[in-house]
Amino acid sequence: MWKVARRSYTKFNPDFLKPASDGVRSNLKLSTSASQDEINHFTELAPSWWDVWGPQRILHKMNLVRMDFIQKTLRDQLKAAPDTYVPGFDYKAILPPQISSAIEEQLNQDIRTQLYQQQLSVLDIGCGGGILAESLARLPFVAKVDGIDLTPECIEIARSHAEKDPALAPKLDYRVQPLEEVTGTYDLVTCLEMLEHVAQPSEILRHAWSKLNKDGILMVSTINRDPVSWFTTIFMAEQVLRLVPRGTHHVSKYINSGEIKQWFKEECVGQYQVLDCKGSMYLPMKGWVNHDCSDIGNYIMAIKKIE
Amino acid sequence: MRAFRLWKPHWTLARTLASAAKPKKTDIFIVGGGPAGLTLAAAIKTSPYLSTLTTTLVDAGDLKGKTAQFYHEPPEKFTNRVISLTSQSRKFLEDRVGVELMQDRLQAFDGLYVSDGCSDAGMEMERDSMGHMIEILNIQSSLLHRLSQLKASNLNLVDQTKVVNIEHKDPKDPQSWLLVTLSNGDVFETRLLVGCDGFNSPVRKFSKIESRGWFYNRFGVVATMKLDFLPFKTRGWQRFLPTGPIAHLPLPGDNATLVWSTTEPLSRLLVSIDPEQLALLVNAAFVLEDVDMQYYYKQLEQGTITTQELELDINHRTDLIYGKLGNESLIDEIYPPLVSSIDGTSRGRFPLKLSHADSYVADRIALVGDAAHTTHPLAGQGLNMGQGDVESLVKALESASKRGLDLGSLLTLEPYWADRYPYNNMLLGVVDKLHKLYSTDFGPVVAVRSMGLKALQALGPIKDFMMARVSGPSQ
Repeated sequence: MWKVARRSYTKFNPDFLKPASDGVRSNLKLSTSASQDEINHFTELAPSWWDVWGPQRILHKMNLVRMDFIQKTLRDQLKAAPDTYVPGFDYKAILPPQISSAIEEQLNQDIRTQLYQQQLSVLDIGCGGGILAESLARLPFVAKVDGIDLTPECIEIARSHAEKDPALAPKLDYRVQPLEEVTGTYDLVTCLEMLEHVAQPSEILRHAWSKLNKDGILMVSTINRDPVSWFTTIFMAEQVLRLVPRGTHHVSKYINSGEIKQWFKEECVGQYQVLDCKGSMYLPMKGWVNHDCSDIGNYIMAIKKIE
Repeated sequence: MRAFRLWKPHWTLARTLASAAKPKKTDIFIVGGGPAGLTLAAAIKTSPYLSTLTTTLVDAGDLKGKTAQFYHEPPEKFTNRVISLTSQSRKFLEDRVGVELMQDRLQAFDGLYVSDGCSDAGMEMERDSMGHMIEILNIQSSLLHRLSQLKASNLNLVDQTKVVNIEHKDPKDPQSWLLVTLSNGDVFETRLLVGCDGFNSPVRKFSKIESRGWFYNRFGVVATMKLDFLPFKTRGWQRFLPTGPIAHLPLPGDNATLVWSTTEPLSRLLVSIDPEQLALLVNAAFVLEDVDMQYYYKQLEQGTITTQELELDINHRTDLIYGKLGNESLIDEIYPPLVSSIDGTSRGRFPLKLSHADSYVADRIALVGDAAHTTHPLAGQGLNMGQGDVESLVKALESASKRGLDLGSLLTLEPYWADRYPYNNMLLGVVDKLHKLYSTDFGPVVAVRSMGLKALQALGPIKDFMMARVSGPSQ
C-alpha cells in the first residue's frame, strides 16, 4: 500500500536529471532563473522576513539546525593537531566524567582554534531576506559572504536589515544577480531551501559546483518528493497550522536526496565526495532536529569538491 | 497647526544636539553589579565563544573601590548580607567562571534541621555540603578579583553611575539597537541589554514586561551573631513560627547569621531593642512556644521588662522544656547552639515579596535574577535562582554565537526563558505555599502539616529528592 502510494506519487519527475533543453532555455531569460510566480510570492513575503514571530518563523528556526550542520561539517574536516591527545578508545565510556570531559574540551579547543584561523569566502544562492547569509557572516572564520537572489524586494530587505548590525557591513554583500553571472570562486557555496523554488535545479547545481574552489564545500538542502513531505510541508504547515505562507511549496518541484546524489554520480565523476546527508524534521514544542533518515521530508547535504 | 510646523525644526535640532555625544558601541550592556551581573560579565569573559564580545557593566555602587577592596582587606567581623550558595551555584562560579572565593569566610553546612513553631514536629535533612553560607560581598569581590585577573580589554566596568535613559535607536523599530544614557553623560549603543538591576528593575520597566506578585506583609531581619561555643554540627536551623520562619545559619568559627522573617511591627522591634535582648529572643524562639514569645514581644514593646528579667524568664521556661525532653543529649540534636551576643550594628531589615515577570526576554533585552523574580528567603533560593539564570543565559548566548545569530534577537534569548521560567516558577510556588502553610496557628492545619513533616522525615527517598531539587544533585 505504502509502496504503491509512494510510487504513484513519485512518478512524475520534473525533468530533474535532464539538462535544460533549448526549448526551455528560450522561454526563460537565464537557465537558473525562478519563475515569475515564485518571484511574486517572495515579493509579498519580503516585508515580514525578519519578524521572528512572523510568517518566516519556521525558516528562522530551521536556520538554527542548518547552522549546526554547517558548523559540524566544517569541524569534521579538521584533524586534531599532533600534540593534542586523542584517545584511541571510547574514552567517554571508560574514563571518569571529569577526565573525559577535560579530554573532550581540549579536543574541542584544538579544532576550534584551527577553524577560527580559517577565513572562508561564502556564496549564498537564493539568500532571500538574508537569514542564512547574516548568520554565516557573523561566524569568526568567515571572511566574506556574497548573497544573491532574484527577488529585488528580498535583497532590499536583506540590505536594510544588515545595515542595522555594524558587525556585518564589512563582510556581507547582497546582489540581485542570476547565478551564472557570478564571477569568482568560493570556499563554501550554500543553496538552502531554494532548489524547490526553481525551474531547472540541475542548472543551479551545475553553476553552483563551478563556483567552488578545490576542497570547497557545497551545501544543498531541499525536500524529498514523497507523501510525507506533502503531508508535513503543504498539508500541515501551509493549510492546517498555517506555519508557512500558502503557495510556498509545490510538490512537483521537490527533489529526492537520491536524485541529487545520482546527478553528481553522472555529472561529476571522481570530483566529489558526499560528506554528510541528514534529514530534518520539525517537532512541535522542540523545533527542528536533524536525523539520519535523509530519504523522507526535508534534508541537507554537504558535498566536497575534491578535484 | 502653523505653530506646530514652526516648532518642528527646533525639536529636531534639540534632538540632534542632545544625541551629539557619539554613542559607544557595545555588544552586551549589563545593568547592575550584584552577584548576577558580575557573574554574567565574568562568565562571558571566560567563555571561548563570547570572550571577544565588547561588554559593559554599569553599577551605582562603589564597585572598584569599596567592594573590590573587601577581597584584599576583609573586615574582621562578618557582614550581614549572607546567603546560602548551593553546590551547583558554587560549581559554576569556581569551575566554569574560575572564581576563587575567600575560603576562610565561607562555611559549608551538612544539613538543616527544620521544626514547627506550633508543634513538636521536626525534620532533619542531612547531606554533605548541602550548601555554603557566604557573604554577598565575598561573592562580589571575588568576582571583581577574577575580572581584574582576566585583564579583558573589551570589558568596560563603570561604577558609581546610574542609567538615566533607555531608548531604541529607531523608535519605530523594536528590533533596533538600544541607546543607554548614563548619569555621567556617556551614551552606549548596545546589541543586548541585560537587566540584573533588582526588584525595581528600570530595564524591565523599559521593556514593558509585566511583573506579577504580592508583598508578604513580612520583613526579613538579618544580623550577625556570636555563639557561646563552637557548634558540634555545622548545620542550619529553621523554625516556622506563626509570624514567619526564623533561621540560624552557620558561619566560620563561632559565628552565625540570623534571618528572621516576621511581621512589620515586630521587625521594627527586633532591630530597635538592645542587641542583648535580641540574642535572648533568638535563643528563645527556637525552644519556647508562641504564647511565650508573644508575651515577650508585648513586654518589650511596652518597655515593661528589663534585660535581666527577660533572661531569667527565658532561662526558666527553657529549662522546663529541656526537662521534658528526658534525654539531655537531645538538646544539641534539635536546638541550635546558643547565641551569646549579636552585633547591633549588623542588624538590617527588608520587605519580603513574591514577584515573577511574565517573560524574561524581549527584543534586545534579557532579565536576570531579582529583575525577573523575587522570593521569600525561607528556602535560601533567591540568589541561586539568579546564578542559574546566568548559567542558562550564557549557554543560550554561546549556542547562538556558534550559530551566528544576532545575540539580541528573540531567537537567541527565547531558549533562556524557556529553560528558566518553569523551574523558577516551580520554586517560587513551592516557597509561597510553604510560607502560607506555616503562617497560621490554626489547630487542624498545624496537625496536618506536622503530620506531613513527620512523614517526610520518615520517607528518606522523597526527602532526598526534595533536597536534590534545592541544592543540586548529590556529590
